[in-house]
Amino acid sequence: MSRPSPMTLLLISLISYGLLIGPFTAYMRNKPIEEKLGYLPSIKLLKPLSADQKELAGASLVFKVLMYYGNAVGKAPGGAVLAEQPDLQGMSRLLHGAVQLDPYNMDAYYFAQGFLTWDARQFKVANDLLEYGMKYRTWDWYLPFFAGFNHAYFLKDYKKAAHYYNLAGDLSGEDLYKSLSSRYLQESGQTDLAIAYLTGMVKTAKNQAVKRNYEVRLKAFREVRRIELARDRFAAAREGLPVSVDQLVHSGYLSPAPVDPYGGRFFFEPDGKVTSSSKFAFGQRK
Amino acid sequence: MLNIMKITLKGIFRDRVFQGIMALAILFLFIPSAASLSMRQVTELSITLSLSLISFILLLLSVFLGATSLWKDVERRYTFAVLSLPINRSSYLLGRFFGLALFLLLTSALLGAVACLVIKAASVIYPSERAIVWSWLALALMFSTLKYILLVGVAMLLSTVSTSFFLPVFGTVCAFLASGITQQVHEYVYSPAAAHAVSPLLKPAVSVVYYLLPNLAGFDLKVNAIYSIAPDPAGLAITACYFCAYTGILLGGAALLFNRREMN
Repeated sequence: MSRPSPMTLLLISLISYGLLIGPFTAYMRNKPIEEKLGYLPSIKLLKPLSADQKELAGASLVFKVLMYYGNAVGKAPGGAVLAEQPDLQGMSRLLHGAVQLDPYNMDAYYFAQGFLTWDARQFKVANDLLEYGMKYRTWDWYLPFFAGFNHAYFLKDYKKAAHYYNLAGDLSGEDLYKSLSSRYLQESGQTDLAIAYLTGMVKTAKNQAVKRNYEVRLKAFREVRRIELARDRFAAAREGLPVSVDQLVHSGYLSPAPVDPYGGRFFFEPDGKVTSSSKFAFGQRK
Repeated sequence: MLNIMKITLKGIFRDRVFQGIMALAILFLFIPSAASLSMRQVTELSITLSLSLISFILLLLSVFLGATSLWKDVERRYTFAVLSLPINRSSYLLGRFFGLALFLLLTSALLGAVACLVIKAASVIYPSERAIVWSWLALALMFSTLKYILLVGVAMLLSTVSTSFFLPVFGTVCAFLASGITQQVHEYVYSPAAAHAVSPLLKPAVSVVYYLLPNLAGFDLKVNAIYSIAPDPAGLAITACYFCAYTGILLGGAALLFNRREMN
């Protein structure tokens, strides 16, 4: 048997590479997103392994979550509505790992606050994470601002919310947050509170996937506010709450008809509160 | 000894190590765009990436240059020629060490300057909420360099007893990995939480390892530089003294062993 020349070997390998690279990249691109988030080794193991690069390891975990999330939102059919929720638990696990490696990493807190509250509805987990961050980022007013919002809007714990808003006011030197604690902390102002918070988040969001998420939510809450105002006008004029949102539309109090960007249908709860069948989250449509 | 230092530096440049570093330093150009992916801390991320890259380059240099410097000389039988000159073995070893240390300092200063430009660029495009404290960045770089100079000492000590370069290279890498966690392990073993979980025999063993291995965790000032957190001056002073004492022990031990080594 004659020995293959190096040139033949190189040529065969190049051709094989050329044939393989297409299917290989296609396979990598279309890999299910669940697989991409992957398995995170125990932090007890990650810490020593990352040696003196803990901050880098923390940042890379945050980016893994960001890429995964960006991809999940990007893949959503029809632009806005996700077919199913992304792996929120996995995202939370990675971000918790990130702040254990680098407790100062603001990206992790910022992003976790975004999805742990609105999407995963894990308020205690979110607040515990913010508390943990406050121990390190002692100068940062964002963390108490987030915690204040969570307590006011989601947990209805106005005493604690006022405490955090005051802290945010002290740290930022702006009276706005202090006034927030007194202005909005009542049940009637809940939607306004959410709109004020979301408008701020949209303005300051840099990442496109995150920004889009906040924009969709803001749009939903503006629609809710519109319905609430129409409901109040209706109640004042007819001395009774409307039976349905459709009734408001048909009787001319609400025009144009409201659209839930999450794909749900708005309705009134027995106490007159406006809500949606989408529960203001992707993949929850009934 | 000064001559050996010069020869060491010349040798490193002749081996095109510097060009290799410059090739790796091209990565600095990508730092601002990579950092811009961050949502809330672009400047902080650019500092993280810059310091990590410098740290990585210095690690490679200290492990490979430190571990191969003596070994290569012995292998090439170059030591015979040098040691026949009126120069003792200790001076030769120290000359090699200080030559390498000087090279690490030069590299760190140069890469540090590049990093400052990169960080400045990132902070101009996306201003940080917290002002960058450049002196703490310089301190972080300096202590990182000291750490890797100490690691060169470890590599040289190991290469005085080894006939191949495997022990120095892998030994130094292991010492580096272990040195970052000895503090945590020691604290855990002596914490109340571990009182029942850890055997009493293990405690003295952990203590021996803790005092034997270098404690490099104290040299890590990245967090202070990245998030502009004031370092403790007394802590820095004691870390610098620790560096001098530990490096002295390493070099003393290495010189002693090198003097007794039989050259065939």
